[in-house]
Amino acid sequence: MSNKTELIRLEGIKKSYNSVEVLHGVDLTVNAGEVIALLGENGAGKSTLVKILAGDISPTEGVIRINGAEMSELDVYRARDLGIRMIFQELNDAPSLSVAENIFLGQWPTSGKKVAWKELKKKAKDVLDRLEVDIPLDVEAGSLRVGERQLLEIARALIQNAKILVLDEPTAALSNVEVERLFKVMEQLRAQGVGMVYITHRLDEVVRVADRVQVLRDGNSVLLDDVRAVSRDDMVTAMLGHSASENVRPTSIHGDKIALRVSDLSDGSNFSDINFSVNEGEVLCLFGKIGSGTSEILECLFGLRRITSGSVEIYGGGFSPKSPQDSTAKRIGYLPADRQRLGSFAIRSVAENLSVSSWNRMSRFGFLKKSDEEAAFATWQQSLNISARRGPGQEIATLSGGNQQKVLLGRWFEAQVNILLLVEPTRGVDVGARRDIYEIIRKQAAESNMAVIVATSDYEEVVLLADRALVISRGAISAEFSDDLVQANKLIAASS
Amino acid sequence: MVKLKAGSTQSSGEGGVKRLRKIPDSAPLVGVLLLMMIIFSVTSEYFFQLDNFKNVLANAAVTGIVCIPSTLLIISGQIDLSVGSAAAVSGMLLAQVVNHHGVPLGLLSALIFGLVLGCFNGFIVTVIGVNALITTLGGLGFLYGVALLIGNGQTLGMKNFEWLGTAQPADIPLPILIFAGLAIAGSITLRYTTFGRSIYAIGSNPNAARVVGIRSKRVIFQTFILSSVSAALAGSVLASQLSSGDPNAGLGLELQVVTAIVLGGASLAGGRGSIFGTVLGLLIVGVLNNGLILLDVPTFWQRIAQGLMLIIAVSFDSIRAKLNQSRS
Repeated sequence: MSNKTELIRLEGIKKSYNSVEVLHGVDLTVNAGEVIALLGENGAGKSTLVKILAGDISPTEGVIRINGAEMSELDVYRARDLGIRMIFQELNDAPSLSVAENIFLGQWPTSGKKVAWKELKKKAKDVLDRLEVDIPLDVEAGSLRVGERQLLEIARALIQNAKILVLDEPTAALSNVEVERLFKVMEQLRAQGVGMVYITHRLDEVVRVADRVQVLRDGNSVLLDDVRAVSRDDMVTAMLGHSASENVRPTSIHGDKIALRVSDLSDGSNFSDINFSVNEGEVLCLFGKIGSGTSEILECLFGLRRITSGSVEIYGGGFSPKSPQDSTAKRIGYLPADRQRLGSFAIRSVAENLSVSSWNRMSRFGFLKKSDEEAAFATWQQSLNISARRGPGQEIATLSGGNQQKVLLGRWFEAQVNILLLVEPTRGVDVGARRDIYEIIRKQAAESNMAVIVATSDYEEVVLLADRALVISRGAISAEFSDDLVQANKLIAASS
Repeated sequence: MVKLKAGSTQSSGEGGVKRLRKIPDSAPLVGVLLLMMIIFSVTSEYFFQLDNFKNVLANAAVTGIVCIPSTLLIISGQIDLSVGSAAAVSGMLLAQVVNHHGVPLGLLSALIFGLVLGCFNGFIVTVIGVNALITTLGGLGFLYGVALLIGNGQTLGMKNFEWLGTAQPADIPLPILIFAGLAIAGSITLRYTTFGRSIYAIGSNPNAARVVGIRSKRVIFQTFILSSVSAALAGSVLASQLSSGDPNAGLGLELQVVTAIVLGGASLAGGRGSIFGTVLGLLIVGVLNNGLILLDVPTFWQRIAQGLMLIIAVSFDSIRAKLNQSRS
């Protein structure tokens, strides 16, 4: 590998937000024709590091060298000019434009001042052929499956002659066949001398595509080696900071009455024939990679997504979730992964955010007393240890991520739900507050006999939170573990 | 900002914090209002007189009646531009029915018209899912046509129904009392009822409102009904004041309503606003109109001033949003 040209060298990169350092001096080198896999838990600093590489944010300290030249000021445009391309997990396309246009988004080939449509279509066809995908050029991108749209993003990067390609979990939404195609294309690019940074959670993919592997943990680089020289266990241990078996499992306490049972549930696209049940007081985790169908199952149970076949029973009675209003009336609560968009009322007070789901119970003839809301907040503030210095009137958006999440959990506790559905409950929550939140969830489940179902892509979360875990892989249950068998390595192996 | 910090350390109670947070919102408005009053007092000898203040209020009251439910709508993230033409149709309808069937039936038909229109707007927006701005802009256009149609393009004289617009119980014009009553009811609704609080929640995050089980569509539907019924009431008051139904009576009402509300601190993005702010905004618009009239400024200048005022108010809304963003 030493004979290859060095494309990128990041040295001693540090980055602070509001005087909190999230990267503590990380190095990263990428050579031509090499794939480096970047691993790390949520919040380890992977995305911050690649954003610096893309010129999206600038480091507080450190040196960026591209093609040997030191970059004092790297912005997005400069990075583009240098051939650095990013492919994100989230789609960045224009759904109402055609497939061909999307591939050339912002870089339309022109003749004179007009768009050269013929040339555009021919080139688009060429690149799709190279990816071996059969997508008509004239349909709207928005009508395609998410996986196909992801391939369009990759096609766009190919068109633009990328020299350095950063792929941020590109396979999350892809089918097996599409993943194979992507790997093939990566082989071609490698042969052309493109350097790639590949971010993933799937360890089997690392072994498949990467030359070197680098692991970040809490803003430090903790492992950098040739892929062939490290074992899976080495990678897991490096990511966790200790051997996976060291995570202490909670003691399991739960009732034996079934709170919710799901039979042969399908939504027609993301998952099919799912069967499971949850007891009162039990915490059940559905573990799977993003896109595996875990969050969609909970969306269906809460009435946010249509069920195409199968049935749901709560406490032995039939229940067909039609809308969130129905579900909340049946004492089911739901904590979405996207807190900003679906969870919090950013500009409203913490007291209001906490009691909003209990307004009907709190009100008399439609009238609410502010003191009731404040009392409810005070109760949960104390038992959940919510830090809101300006009191119940403080806007929720001014709290830290962990405290916001506690308020939203308190919302459903106050509403006295029997069944609580949680999607990625610690996403965007600082590491310190995570264990608090696990403890809160387990304590509340035990005390109020509440059944909890958690959809998560974080195996450590499963180990620390679950009484029982179901592993979901590409829309089907691939394994079930309970009690002491809920272990990180078992979960990871079953989900790949 | 500085005030807020000082306050938060002094007062542990929520009331204290809230009161202090309100100051930055409404203080500039009160300042502008006082400044305008001083300027007009100096430039016109008629301005600073009790009768003139009554006049300002009476004129503002008709707009104000519409402003109250419209404030609710804007806080919920919606808007109703059809109110101007709705008021005109109500006035025409009132004049027509009063002349032939008497006052009670006349009033009833105007209010029923408001109810039906509200259901229509609510249906198109919440069930069909059309953007409220477009829906009610269409309503503004076609209802103006309807108003012209009823009177065949002419104003309709109306007999024996002046009391609604001109009665002065306890020496206060009735429209002012109606407006004051609505303002108090609106303020209580927004602050102390689940309905009002749901409006804030829906406006600040419609997706989250759905997830927590708020029946958003029903709330928005009901608010559209309130808006149209209030426009019908305002149109009736106006017709009563003029002793006739005039198809042009409500012209530009929607502009004044939106100006007053946005000036009063409500955000067009939803989630923010108050009746108190709207009343202040309304007074500013009212005093400006009155002052320009007293100064004999030609009416087309008044139109220009009103339009500019709306643009300034909306710009403030955007600037405020940007400041908030950069602060957090």
